[in-house]
Amino acid sequence: MIRKALGHILSCKDASRLVSKREDAALSAWQRLLLGLHLSVCTACARFERQVHFLRSAMQRYRQ
Amino acid sequence: MPNAEFARELDPHRGYLLRVARLQLRDEALAEDVVQETLLAALSGSGFSGKSSLRTWLTGILKHKIVDAIRRKQREPTAASAFGDIESEMDVEDIDAMFTERGSWDAKPADWGDPEAALNQRQFLDIMEVCLEQLPPNTARVFMMREVMELETDKICKELAINANNLWVILYRARMALRQCLEQNWFARNGGPH
Repeated sequence: MIRKALGHILSCKDASRLVSKREDAALSAWQRLLLGLHLSVCTACARFERQVHFLRSAMQRYRQ
Repeated sequence: MPNAEFARELDPHRGYLLRVARLQLRDEALAEDVVQETLLAALSGSGFSGKSSLRTWLTGILKHKIVDAIRRKQREPTAASAFGDIESEMDVEDIDAMFTERGSWDAKPADWGDPEAALNQRQFLDIMEVCLEQLPPNTARVFMMREVMELETDKICKELAINANNLWVILYRARMALRQCLEQNWFARNGGPH
């Protein structure tokens, strides 16, 4: 239920876009709040977030 | 005077520098040139302090040479076609296609288990390079500038004459596409929990 309700406010598409943007810019307090709520209930987007962080470490390894 | 022993130490890094330059310039001759300039600068420069790894130090020199090369190239009348149409890479149509109409994942990201283990495997880095090569040219370039060259976002925007929103879209595409490519070509095949 909560998941569905949150999905109406912030879809997975929006959430994934914010996850990426957060790597390069500061999000607004409102965006941080919505994203935090979304990630706490959405397994798919939480995985996406971990994978984005992994990409960063993978690129660092690539450089070494 | 160039130091022959130091030159020999630089040589094993040539292939890596060339791959990084190619991914950003998509121009074989130009990539060869910037790597040549980088190695010459390394040999004649004020020297390697040993504080960072040799490769990190060389990457830092290469960064400046690539930025210079991009500037030179953008002044050429054929610049637009040389790097392809960056405008088309600001379009989000391909990203939209990864989601349903209501904005849910069309194919949910899979569980990658413990992906860090892959970082110690040469084959994984090779797959990652193939995935990078498959990105649209400007997307690969921007992602390399950001993640390998570690350029600040405002610097990248300035060099490529794009705004911050364009940059975020391009980096978002890069991450979405790389994630998908690695999942299909590595994590779905190698010991992923499927």
